[in-house]
Amino acid sequence: MRSFASILLAITLLLGSGAARADLEVVATTPDLASVAMAIGGAHAKVSALALPTQDPHWVDARPHLALKLARADMLLVVGLGLEVGWLPTLLTGSRNLNVQNGGRGHVDCSELIEPLEVAQARIDRSQGDVHAGGNPHYMFDPRAAAQVIDGVAARMAVLDPPNAGTYRANAASFKTRLATARIGWEKQLSGLRGAKVIDYHKSFPYLESWLGFHVVEHLEPRPGIPPNPRHVAQVLALAKQQKVRIVLQESFYPDRTGQLVATQAGAKLVRIPAGPDLSARQGYIEFMGQVVALLRGATD
Amino acid sequence: MPNRWHGDVRGRVDVSEYRRTPSWRLASAVLCTWLVTGAGRAGAESAEPAPEPAPPASDAETVDPPAGEAETAAPATDGMEAETSADEPTTDGAVEEVAAPEAELTPEQQAEIEAALAADQAEREEAQGAAAEGEESGRAGLGRGLGRFFQSLNPDLSFILDLAFAWYSTDEHLETGEHDPAENGFNFQQLELSVRATVDPYFRFDGNLVIGADEVELEEAYATTLGLPGRFQLRLGQMLTRFGRINGTHPHSWDFVDQPFAIGRVFGSEGNSGLGLELSWLTPLPWYVEVVGSATDAEGETTNRSFYGDHDPGFDGLEDFLYLVAIKQFFPLSDDWSLSWGISAAFGPNGTGTDARTEVYATDIYLKWRPISQQSYQIVSLTTEWLYRRRDVPGDTLQDVTGYVQVFWRFSRRWATAARYEYGSPPYGSDGDPSGDDDLDPSWTDHRHRVAVSFTFWPTEFSRLRLQGLVDVPQWRDEVVWAGMLAAEFVTGEHGAHVF
Repeated sequence: MRSFASILLAITLLLGSGAARADLEVVATTPDLASVAMAIGGAHAKVSALALPTQDPHWVDARPHLALKLARADMLLVVGLGLEVGWLPTLLTGSRNLNVQNGGRGHVDCSELIEPLEVAQARIDRSQGDVHAGGNPHYMFDPRAAAQVIDGVAARMAVLDPPNAGTYRANAASFKTRLATARIGWEKQLSGLRGAKVIDYHKSFPYLESWLGFHVVEHLEPRPGIPPNPRHVAQVLALAKQQKVRIVLQESFYPDRTGQLVATQAGAKLVRIPAGPDLSARQGYIEFMGQVVALLRGATD
Repeated sequence: MPNRWHGDVRGRVDVSEYRRTPSWRLASAVLCTWLVTGAGRAGAESAEPAPEPAPPASDAETVDPPAGEAETAAPATDGMEAETSADEPTTDGAVEEVAAPEAELTPEQQAEIEAALAADQAEREEAQGAAAEGEESGRAGLGRGLGRFFQSLNPDLSFILDLAFAWYSTDEHLETGEHDPAENGFNFQQLELSVRATVDPYFRFDGNLVIGADEVELEEAYATTLGLPGRFQLRLGQMLTRFGRINGTHPHSWDFVDQPFAIGRVFGSEGNSGLGLELSWLTPLPWYVEVVGSATDAEGETTNRSFYGDHDPGFDGLEDFLYLVAIKQFFPLSDDWSLSWGISAAFGPNGTGTDARTEVYATDIYLKWRPISQQSYQIVSLTTEWLYRRRDVPGDTLQDVTGYVQVFWRFSRRWATAARYEYGSPPYGSDGDPSGDDDLDPSWTDHRHRVAVSFTFWPTEFSRLRLQGLVDVPQWRDEVVWAGMLAAEFVTGEHGAHVF
């Protein structure tokens, strides 16, 4: 037992001294938040995401190695509004890291930085499906909300790592400028979408809707989290025809057969968008939103 | 309905104002939570009876939130969405209402109804728009205040109800788990009240009260540290120990209606649990290695097959505790594949004589495939766990092996099937022969095999229906036991987090 302990100790020391450590280890629950942190942190931050862009962020397995990531993290960015409630608490408890626990210095609930939509105005219950009382958590589809997140994340990074505070602020400022410029271009490209009728799969797009001015008239899920059933799909299809719906919009982690069917029969186009940037392909937030815009553009022409 | 929204809005403005003043936030939340809760509940309850007798009204209630949501959209705008928020809820809400009762309405009829509703809606929006203009940011703050208010300082509570209908081919059967449906006919498996809360920045609290048909039992109540230095973690209280894989879990996370007999045989109907203390350490190795050690009481129902059980000789010294050591490792083989491997050992006194000890050694493997790098709802997992036990009994040492292997396949979003094989050896004496005198578990004298197959349907993650078939072959009996079970589970309250 003693020799085992000393081996572990030796490995600890080796790891501690050998590995070049970033100034700030940042973990984000989703790839979109991670891409924001990467842009602000630059060379000073080592950033990773717990969920993949191909994965439904409501349903992430609390795989123990993710707790290990959190154990090493200086900063944790969460989407909040109940999105991660089914898995993040397990990882946080397992991480044993006071900094990233709720209320810790490094814990940033990004939903506190934005103005949430769809906040429950009365008592809710689960007959309405998977409702998020505090508001809809898919706010990173709105670049204006993203700009608020950029500010908040940069401010917290500056607090956590004062020597590099200037860099974080400068990176955030230039990132916001690039984003604002890109946004103006996107708005021009998608001006044709204003007033267009859209059907989505899950209630994932109120922020995109609010930004681009299209109207989501119905969801393929009869209620959030309840898979489509034939009766509801028939109703949606009838409505899609009647309202001349142009786009069926869904995140790529949802199955697309139903969406394809409704789109084909209603003469609309199916648009599948990833849930976030592909970090493994070094896609940043602006490139990701550019991709979303391009996909929507493709369906409006 | 709109009136109720408005009433609520006025009733809760105070909260939002405090919410907007950060220094006030915590104190005011404490002070106001109950006040506001009272008001909110009263409002909701008084409005509740109405939807019941009139289905369309209740539909309207379901549809209402989007309308309310759009209202909050207004303050968040910088002008361009005003149009959206005015129109969107109209179409959204109206259509669902129209479509729901009668899908075959002609488009004309639909359009007509819709136009009427749209007019009402526009009127309403107008009125609200006027009101909102003066206090734009106040409304946004209000929405957020309300959202937070649902996540108040009260602990998260959930109730889990497990019911089953069971049929066995013989009157005497050998289900070993406390919550197994062991009777022919209807079975009340359990009502579990789970309580979770963060105590303060340093501790969290978890409790599980199990309300059985005729007793209330404190299954778990423990505190866990959140950030001890050196990646240590302390857990203290009444708890299920982290022996092996399934012992520390609750029926809600099982793939079968009943518990594997390995747990019931070696530890007792409730698994290995007790009052005590656990220290675990997340090692700084590059992969996930967690070392767990705990010391708990060796008495009580949960330990009666191997340890003191109901026999309580009093506490003499440290050798009277039940000790556990476990090493848990996890390997993320890829984004889609996971492997965890644990080894566990438990040591403690048994009640057959002075200095009579029991040792249990076990290993568990959990291999899971869940494709997350592409769209899929499939999950395939393999779980296996084997326990080797040695017990000192007067004049002999008994050894046995018990375990199970199970495969689970979720083949679509709501459906899964699973199969399990279990084996338990007879207790062998030191001469290598199956022993007849096992005072701790006198009936188990030979090999036992059991096979189960289950089908599960989840309407949502909060409800579950499960059908299970079972064949039990205890070779010390002449007959094979056949069984069928149909079980239902309902989860209400706050959404608890799942463990891997």
